Amino acid sequence: MTRYWRLISIFMGASLSAQLEYRVNFVINLVETILRVLGSLLGLIILLGENKSLGGWSFHEAAVVLGVFTLFDGLIGLALAPNLNRIAEGVRTGTMDFTLLKPIDSQFLVSFRNINLLRLPDVLLGLGIIVWAVLQSPILPNLGNLSLGILLLLCAYSIVYGIWFMLSTTAFWFVRVENITELFMGFYRAGQFPVSVFPGWVRTLFTFVIPIAFITTIPAQALTGKLEQNSLWIALGFAALLLFLSRWFWRFALRSYTSASS
Amino acid sequence: MNSQPMSPFENTWRKFKALFGAWLAHMTVYRAEILIWMLSGTIPLIMLAVWIGQAQAAGGTVGGFSASDFAAYFLAAWLSGQMIVAWVAWEIDFAIRQGTFSSKLLRPINPFWEYFMQHITERFVRGPFILAVVALGTLLIPGTRLVASAGHLLVYILAIILAFAIRFLIAYCIGLLCFWLENATALDELYFVLSIMLSGSFAPLDFYPAWLRPILEFLPFPYIVYYPAQILIGRLPWSEIARVLLVQCVWLAIIFVLFSWLWKAGRRHYGAVGA
Repeated sequence: MTRYWRLISIFMGASLSAQLEYRVNFVINLVETILRVLGSLLGLIILLGENKSLGGWSFHEAAVVLGVFTLFDGLIGLALAPNLNRIAEGVRTGTMDFTLLKPIDSQFLVSFRNINLLRLPDVLLGLGIIVWAVLQSPILPNLGNLSLGILLLLCAYSIVYGIWFMLSTTAFWFVRVENITELFMGFYRAGQFPVSVFPGWVRTLFTFVIPIAFITTIPAQALTGKLEQNSLWIALGFAALLLFLSRWFWRFALRSYTSASS
Repeated sequence: MNSQPMSPFENTWRKFKALFGAWLAHMTVYRAEILIWMLSGTIPLIMLAVWIGQAQAAGGTVGGFSASDFAAYFLAAWLSGQMIVAWVAWEIDFAIRQGTFSSKLLRPINPFWEYFMQHITERFVRGPFILAVVALGTLLIPGTRLVASAGHLLVYILAIILAFAIRFLIAYCIGLLCFWLENATALDELYFVLSIMLSGSFAPLDFYPAWLRPILEFLPFPYIVYYPAQILIGRLPWSEIARVLLVQCVWLAIIFVLFSWLWKAGRRHYGAVGA
């Protein structure tokens, strides 16, 4: 286990030194992220308009959801996309061979090899919005709500990882799948709003079929003290299921890997 | 073989026919990718669901819009957003960086037309998917009137062609900045974020804060998505439609002047990679 932690820090150091060469990109990405968040806040203001309520959420509560959305958008760009989007390349060019030959777990290596620090501001901005919005609410969250929130954020991350990982792993059969994760992102954008704003069956879709509610709404519910007991157990169940499925899917996929030249 | 010299018109016609055929074949191969690219523009469809939810919660209408009004507006906005997609900034960036732009300059036709055809043929491949989504949306939400009348549809086609031309030329100008800048595609990304915010994808502009409306009128964004969508669903009187078309032409002229200047200055500045 300690060996794996040490490897993570080595990987991060290597990615960092490669990326410090592109400082202009960093500034441009920062401007883009800030514009994106301003756009989403504008969207919230427009939506709240006359009703002053968004599916039972006040502006600041809905802003917590937006913060969690921005946080995970950043985490996906920081840690998931730079790794998992390369699985397809590895399968197509055959460099997956080298990954499989290394004396550490192959799923670990394809999942944590790279980190894109360009997207770190997104993560920090997301956390900033969460803290700002939570502090605006009339009742500050107690320690219980806070730890529940953190637990549910971890569940959410496991869910995102599981979905993203399995989509990327389809490369073993379909090869050209660099863009397949857009399938997830297209739906994920709905997560910037509390799931309760959606009408009936759309809400069911985003809760149980594509569990976006468990990525943004449910952790935000915990942080604003609106969580229902059942949601916690379902979130834990979803997270465990998706992690298990991703493990199983990876092993299953490796069995049909025949390398590029043979 | 016909030995008679071809007229210039015939010559140009043949070039365009060849470009059209080649790019249509190319784009048909990428139909699965095109379907996935379409997903990067889901915001209007998400907002469609959100606003219907808001209307239901408010007991039927929000700001005078019923569920089917929202459905018509957002389906039209999504359709317009799909028709004006342009990635030419990335293409030019790639070609200049890799040095393949040089060989494009040697061809007997301006590379502009090659990129233009690439986008036009892609719309033919994208078309059936777009129609399927729009038809599904209209069926799922009862009472949705997407097209006000045959006349409105005809004017919409004109407006959306102008909108596409504006968006395409803006992207082309951003791509040409690559002659000088290292990161032109990041600028296109910035443009995309702004356009989602300001083109009316979040809501019909009537819902935007009052202080923002007059500013938006002086930007090209509403004339690319919001106004064409409003034309299609018949929310604008004919006099207003005439004004919208006029403003679109003015924007097109302004960006065309910018484009001509960048194109001239850029080629002078261009030192091909590997040449």
